[in-house]
Amino acid sequence: MPGTSSRRKSNVKESLAHTIRLKVNGDLHELTVKPHHTLLDVLRDQLELTGTKEGCGLGECGACTVHMDGKPVNSCLVLALEADGSEIVTIEGLAKAGKLHPVQRAFVEKGAIQCGFCTPGMVMASIGLLAEKPNPTREEIKQALIGNLCRCTGYKKIIEAVSEAASSGGARDDE
Amino acid sequence: MMNKDFAVIGKNVPRIDSIPKVTGEARYTCDLKLPGMLWGAILRSPHPHAKILRVNLERAKGLTGVRAVITAEDVPQNRFSFIQALADKNIFCREEARYIGDEIAAVAAVDRDTAEEALQLIEVEYEPLPAVFDPEAAMAPDAPRVHDRENNIVYEFHKSFGEVDKAFELCDVVCEDRYLTHQLAHCCMETSNCIAQVDSSGGLTLYVNTQAPHTQRQELARILGLPIGKIRVVNSNMGGGFGSKLVMDMKGPIAACLSMRTNKPVKIINSRQEEFSTAKTRYPYIMDIKVGATKEGRILSRQARVIVDNGAYNDKGPSTLSFASMMFNVLYDVPNTQFDACLVYTNKQFGTAFRGFGNPQIAFATECQLDDLAKRLKMDPIELRMKNLNKPNSMTTHGARITSCGMQECMEVSAKAIGWSEKRREPKKFRGIGMANMVHSGAGSRYYGFNSNDAFVKIADDGTVTLITSALDMGQGAQTTMAQIVAEELGVKMESLKVLTNDTDLTPYDLGSYGSRATFICGNAAKLAARDARKELVFVAGEMLEANPEDLVVKNGVVHVAGSPGKSIPVAEIVQYSVSKKGSSISGRGHFVDTLASGADITAGYLTHIPTFAFATQMAEVEVDPETGKVKVLKIVAAHDTGTAINPVSAEGQIEGGVVQGFGYALMEKLSVKDGRVENISFLDYKIPNSGDIPDIETILVETEDPDGPFGAKGVGEPGLVPTAPAIVNAIYDAIGVRFKELPVTPEQVLKALRDRPR
Repeated sequence: MPGTSSRRKSNVKESLAHTIRLKVNGDLHELTVKPHHTLLDVLRDQLELTGTKEGCGLGECGACTVHMDGKPVNSCLVLALEADGSEIVTIEGLAKAGKLHPVQRAFVEKGAIQCGFCTPGMVMASIGLLAEKPNPTREEIKQALIGNLCRCTGYKKIIEAVSEAASSGGARDDE
Repeated sequence: MMNKDFAVIGKNVPRIDSIPKVTGEARYTCDLKLPGMLWGAILRSPHPHAKILRVNLERAKGLTGVRAVITAEDVPQNRFSFIQALADKNIFCREEARYIGDEIAAVAAVDRDTAEEALQLIEVEYEPLPAVFDPEAAMAPDAPRVHDRENNIVYEFHKSFGEVDKAFELCDVVCEDRYLTHQLAHCCMETSNCIAQVDSSGGLTLYVNTQAPHTQRQELARILGLPIGKIRVVNSNMGGGFGSKLVMDMKGPIAACLSMRTNKPVKIINSRQEEFSTAKTRYPYIMDIKVGATKEGRILSRQARVIVDNGAYNDKGPSTLSFASMMFNVLYDVPNTQFDACLVYTNKQFGTAFRGFGNPQIAFATECQLDDLAKRLKMDPIELRMKNLNKPNSMTTHGARITSCGMQECMEVSAKAIGWSEKRREPKKFRGIGMANMVHSGAGSRYYGFNSNDAFVKIADDGTVTLITSALDMGQGAQTTMAQIVAEELGVKMESLKVLTNDTDLTPYDLGSYGSRATFICGNAAKLAARDARKELVFVAGEMLEANPEDLVVKNGVVHVAGSPGKSIPVAEIVQYSVSKKGSSISGRGHFVDTLASGADITAGYLTHIPTFAFATQMAEVEVDPETGKVKVLKIVAAHDTGTAINPVSAEGQIEGGVVQGFGYALMEKLSVKDGRVENISFLDYKIPNSGDIPDIETILVETEDPDGPFGAKGVGEPGLVPTAPAIVNAIYDAIGVRFKELPVTPEQVLKALRDRPR
């Protein structure tokens, strides 16, 4: 039926609530979650880390990309229960003491941001790429970001930004 | 040429919103949470056309956590459309549902899960009615009626200049074709959403991702029957617009009614599936077009008969038609043109504005047909277009005043960049190049009888300059553009600029960000406000420096006497002096009035409805895979006449984003609608271009200088996608000799055409 999000389950009793522990951007949290809650729900609704965006809720757009134990994941596809005990980094956890991560800086300088809704996910996915491949080719950047949709920029300046961040040593968080 | 020695204009300063956006601090409406907030959800019709026999809300009302359940009985009965004379939609369906997705009822509950569970407990008994989905079928005398009216043709538009039929008789070559486009989804990354909050004095605040807060406020007032002054519309950062958020949709009034019922703030957000399956779309056009030229290549006559699928309700259909007709007539210097169109109801999702506003549809048809004409004239497509150019400082036969115009230069530079003459001469197998031009508004339209704007500048005692503007930023960069204009005109650094916008209680009346108008209209107002503030500033500085204010220079936030930079005072000190010694702070008002707009008549068509025009040429190089039918776009060259580019990187970004949307329009995107039901309601099934799909894009800014735009600028928001699809389709023709007349061109169609083509 139109208007009904398929991932929302009904009739979930409070008694099914579970307690999980998450380390998010360095802070430890003990949280009560329902079985159908996703990591994205927990980040946005409980922890109010709204920098991570929901674009589709189905793992098709990448706007909700965060790092879980160092790897980029679509947080809308990870159940909160599955994330128990893991370490999460969101877009809010990148800049240290007001200093942008090199990938963030490159996005700003290269004009890779328009509406900005895909930006947090795009940045997290790009950092994930550079951790694996510090010097990716243009084609490797394009392939790595296929799961992150953007409707504004046409991707060109995003690809340039990732390339720029790589050549300035963006694989490392230069703190 | 104007003095291009600017301090801030033309510089690639980073956007003022880019750091909040890259750190996740930027708040969008969907991120907002208010104390006591409830979640709303909407029950929508599962039938394309049905009578509503009975609605039972009792079970839903009985669910724990539900705070309100409402239907048509509980809300104002006013009907609404963007053009009130064509009003046809209630907040909720009263007796009939007219498309799959039509609003039947809504709930407010303590959380989203409960709201959606409650929807499932609402019982509705429907009697399905005959429905019609094809606009031509809907025009038949015995077609099912979508609304209770004589027929399904809701609006007609006829505009004719010169004598087309006589002129066709003088032509040596005439082409006649039918071109088709389909419904498309805007696919903003942030879905449509809002929070409504009533207060005890009967006021309503709507937090909403809208492109046009002031007109949205008028629309809410109309449908809710509230005085405009009781309503406040507040925007946040916006996850894209592209026209989808120009006219109110029913979420706003529904959230407002739920808030009135519960005295709590109520939030409603579309799921992505809901957005695909029920939101407004790009209007599909059926275009029968005809063009004729002499054997020398002079185009004498052009005619279009257009049938537009309106969907179930009225929105921007008449305006997009009028705009499409203007662009159809004004593109190239054609002395005789005729445009006849009708807008037809069907039982489908209805259309609205979508980047380009009818022009991407008509440009696809016109520019493809022009290539066929060139072929029959045995003429290079560029040569034919050069013979019929729009020219600067000219008046078209339709009375449109063209001021700045870079059409010729756009063609020349893009032909050079793509290697047109070499590549056309030596065609490789299954590889081709093609081109298309476009004309578009560079400054909105006078269509609505108003195209003006005010702005305010205040300078704080530390030298911080705050601009209050209505230039709404949906992601295109309007705030930064406005800040650059003010910084340049006032003579201060970008770092001292702040921009306040997005709130109808704060900003002056404005039509919103659409039609590529913000840079030109709001930019002119911002520039005048800065000039006004500068006048006060140098007056006070003159007293401090014991100099004639007219001899003073303001640069980088410092005022000095021209020729003696040694004797200078920072802006902050001037403000402090003014406040303490003169009892006056420093500010400015910009009042940009487009006087020609007040005479525009919404029903009479157009003559001088466009303040200035933007032009562009795009060229595409493609490779067709004969095994799979897949078209690979190797390169797009996009040369755009932007006027002065206030921020070149930002202007390029607008063009590149437009090109990629145009690429999707040409080859990938279409809402697949069967019996009124959208079948592809996710990004897996409705493909938009991803980073792996895109062609190489070379953007060239052709900076003509507009005589009326701020610092010579004109709008750049929409043109990017207008010529892309015809350029690609023309390149496919060059590659395989097959003319596609329907979008998108899919691999299946290419394979079929390759099989069927004569050998």
